[in-house]
Amino acid sequence: MRVRALLAAALACLSVMARAQAIVTSQAPDKVAVTVYRAASASGTMDLEWLQGFAIVRETRRISLPAGESELRFEGVASGIVPQSAIVEGLGDVVEKNRDAKLLSPGTLLDSLLGRRVHLRRISKATGDVREQEAVLRASGDGVVLETAEGIEALRCTGLNETPLAQSVPATLSAKPTLSVRLRSARPIAGNVILTYLSSGFDWRAHYVATVAPSGDKMTLFAWLTLANGDETGFANAETMAVAGRVNREGAEVLAPEVRPISLTCWPSQRTHEIPLEEPVPPAPPPPPPPAPASMMSAERSEEIVVTGSSIIAQREALGDLKLYRIPIPVTLAARSQKQVALFEQPSARFATLYRWRSSFANEQNEPVDAARVLKMENRTDHGLGLPLPAGSLTLFAERAGRPFLLGEGSMTDRAVGETVEILLEGSPGVKVTQRQLRRDKKDRETELIVTNDDAKSLRFEVRFADEREPLSSSERLIRRDGAYWWTAAIPANGTRILRIRYRLRD
Amino acid sequence: MRKLFLLCCGLAAAPLFAQSAIEPVLPAPSRTAQGDVAVTIYNENRALVQDRRELTLPGGRSRQEFPDVSAQIRPETVTLTGNGIGIVEQNFDFDLLTPAAMMQKAVGETVTLVRMNPASGAETRERARILAANGGVVMQIGDRIEVLRDDGLPARVIFDRVPAQLRARPTLSITLDTAHAGRQPVTLNYLTGGLGWSADYVALFDEPNGKMNVQGWITLTNSSGTAFTNARTLLVAGAVNQVQRGYRVYGGYPPPPPPPPPPGGMIRAGTQTAGRERLGGFYLYPLPERTTIADKQTKQVSFLDVSGAPAARAYEYRNGWLGSADEPQSVSSVLRFSTETGGGLGDALPAGTVRVYQRDARGNPQFVGEHQIGHTPMGSSISLATGESFDVKVRPLVVERTRINTSPRWKTRMLYEVSNAGPAPVVVDVVQDGLWGDTRVTDESIKSERLAADSARWHVPVPANGRAVVSATFDTRF
Repeated sequence: MRVRALLAAALACLSVMARAQAIVTSQAPDKVAVTVYRAASASGTMDLEWLQGFAIVRETRRISLPAGESELRFEGVASGIVPQSAIVEGLGDVVEKNRDAKLLSPGTLLDSLLGRRVHLRRISKATGDVREQEAVLRASGDGVVLETAEGIEALRCTGLNETPLAQSVPATLSAKPTLSVRLRSARPIAGNVILTYLSSGFDWRAHYVATVAPSGDKMTLFAWLTLANGDETGFANAETMAVAGRVNREGAEVLAPEVRPISLTCWPSQRTHEIPLEEPVPPAPPPPPPPAPASMMSAERSEEIVVTGSSIIAQREALGDLKLYRIPIPVTLAARSQKQVALFEQPSARFATLYRWRSSFANEQNEPVDAARVLKMENRTDHGLGLPLPAGSLTLFAERAGRPFLLGEGSMTDRAVGETVEILLEGSPGVKVTQRQLRRDKKDRETELIVTNDDAKSLRFEVRFADEREPLSSSERLIRRDGAYWWTAAIPANGTRILRIRYRLRD
Repeated sequence: MRKLFLLCCGLAAAPLFAQSAIEPVLPAPSRTAQGDVAVTIYNENRALVQDRRELTLPGGRSRQEFPDVSAQIRPETVTLTGNGIGIVEQNFDFDLLTPAAMMQKAVGETVTLVRMNPASGAETRERARILAANGGVVMQIGDRIEVLRDDGLPARVIFDRVPAQLRARPTLSITLDTAHAGRQPVTLNYLTGGLGWSADYVALFDEPNGKMNVQGWITLTNSSGTAFTNARTLLVAGAVNQVQRGYRVYGGYPPPPPPPPPPGGMIRAGTQTAGRERLGGFYLYPLPERTTIADKQTKQVSFLDVSGAPAARAYEYRNGWLGSADEPQSVSSVLRFSTETGGGLGDALPAGTVRVYQRDARGNPQFVGEHQIGHTPMGSSISLATGESFDVKVRPLVVERTRINTSPRWKTRMLYEVSNAGPAPVVVDVVQDGLWGDTRVTDESIKSERLAADSARWHVPVPANGRAVVSATFDTRF
């Protein structure tokens, strides 16, 4: 009887071996290129714990495969991989691409043993004796039931130290989600395979550092390209790029890895001193799931910010309708880290500062308030610029006694060559505007605007009248710009300008 | 021989514990109870499974269990057919085997209690009758009544058997009336959730030459909780109406059905028939060979490979009624191509996501955007907005809005400033929406085309590194 069983099992084994394909594992890429794309709603600085951009990772791997059918498994890919997007180049006849997300965990391991043989090990608390016994796992869903030679028992309902032991890990369970391709080749393959995929958990920003020159109308505009990798996978010596512009994204369903704890519940186990006076208490909930396997979490957060020297400047090229910035040397984009390289430096960009105020019904407050300060640049070569400016934030500095002095911070959207760039900064406390209503009929109003300047230099001031107001007459000339009425005035040094305007409210 | 054997299947325990009487109830891990499996997968998370198994049946009435059916089986859809087999009844049992359920079912029965002396480790055995299992377990041992483990000391409870109605997993069982005893094939058909598919397209766009290469991949996902071994697989493109179900008995609530794919950029539906198998109006995509669809697996198989199909880039900007912008707005960058035979991809496209790549200066493909498409007949015109242009922008402005005399009509003058910072001339389609009712375009700088009663379109040529301005005046009731 026993001999026959062994023979049958051996035959089954042989047939499995005959069908089995060669499994070749590629541990890590030999060469990697990463192109980082911004989040659709990119603004401000990046939250390193919540990176909403993505990356295209292009890995070159050296592989050798035997002739015939084989399975090539790619390890060391980014954990944010969108498996649907994976492209494999350089292989012959790819039968299929697979990504398996059923992972080895206590619960899935036990599940895979359902109906199968396990060892049951008990250690005596009194003597330390180890007793091992054979058992068959009969249930593992909600509490573990085992069949031993003596009968049916429930695991850990006994008060004993007992644990089931498996003999091997089923081939269907792996430590991490794995991407693999099944392929067939008449000849052995030795060469490079290129694996390209999209991965979430990356982002980048442009950040501009502007230092006002002593002349006051020019500045040095230095731009940082700040890349962040929120993935657990780092990319050593990677060809690194960033893409500016907006690309459309669609949702992609990525099967979440299946990881489960062992659920150990028992029968009702109250003892006499625990019997409650009222309702019976529900059985204890299953233990909380254990933390995800260490590989799925970063054991330690290393958000080291690496600043490389600005002697390296990203090279720009056009990519369809987008702008691609290439870091000219291979750099290491480490796991969970942020890296900065220079995007460009424009030594002498012309700019103008002006103050702006929006006159509307809601702003009639009779009190002096600060007007917004606008930093205005023309993105043209004759103004010292004339290059694509990716969206980002700007920090404006001046120099005082050899030390930088912060003047303000603002942000801007993507600006193409030839466009006007306006960055809204905090107002200055010495430039105030007061809006006062002088007369009010049903639809006919009169308002006074008083602009004051405490500086020893004159400045430019612009008032935009909200669309609700149709000016009838005013004490100063108004202009029409961008479909609105404006008053643009030079406010003299330490001076005041006053505008009286009569207008009608529109329907 | 034995060594090979141990390595091979991991059955090391078999010889070591061969003296034991108990036998595993399931075959070795590499085996499955499934027979010849054929799976037909529909888009909306649904599949039809056909499983032909060889069963050894006794003559007359017998109850057969069917392990390894999908964990998300819809039991009401099960049919079983075989030669000379009549079905008496079909059961789907979900009374699960847990320690608590086992103890409840043991009330009134006798179990073996093994106590351990905490000091010496010596074991004593007693038979105990379970009186109740409410809150705690009350038992009768001889003439004593005792609460199980009331003393806090270890005690093993050994049940003589597993109650017949308790199962490790929800189980399908069918009671059969068999004419002839013996081994015979039966066919099990059922519907299951947890299997779905969509298409993924990789489009490598060669902008200077106006061509693109497209590869299509079928992506199927299995979250059913069950692997389908060595299955013949057929994918069906199209929506089949599904009856909503109230609840699921196992594995929590069903996932909400995925939303229907957005219409995508089909601007003209095609009328050509693709050279693929069809049935009942659906295109069928059989996988070329048998495959094992593992649980929690995403599998991709190639189904389309087209080189050098014509494709072009276009720009579109759509403005809402009275839309005015403080800053120039990027226009949509659109990829246009056809699925017709001859001048296009020459195939019907099942719904999915098109990912577009272009080569960078070093010749490596880079991602430039993606868009969904719906089920697309052959011969259709497609226009996919893959992203926004960095260099081409439109600034819409309402420059004048006045009441016409005292009539209830309004005059609205709009300016559309189109700028192009790129090195090549472009044509931008500017569309003004919201022209409801009897809106008239009374004046315009270039001729518009009414796409529909409520929208007008201007083809605006913009020189390289230049700009163009379109003005239009509308006469509206609002």
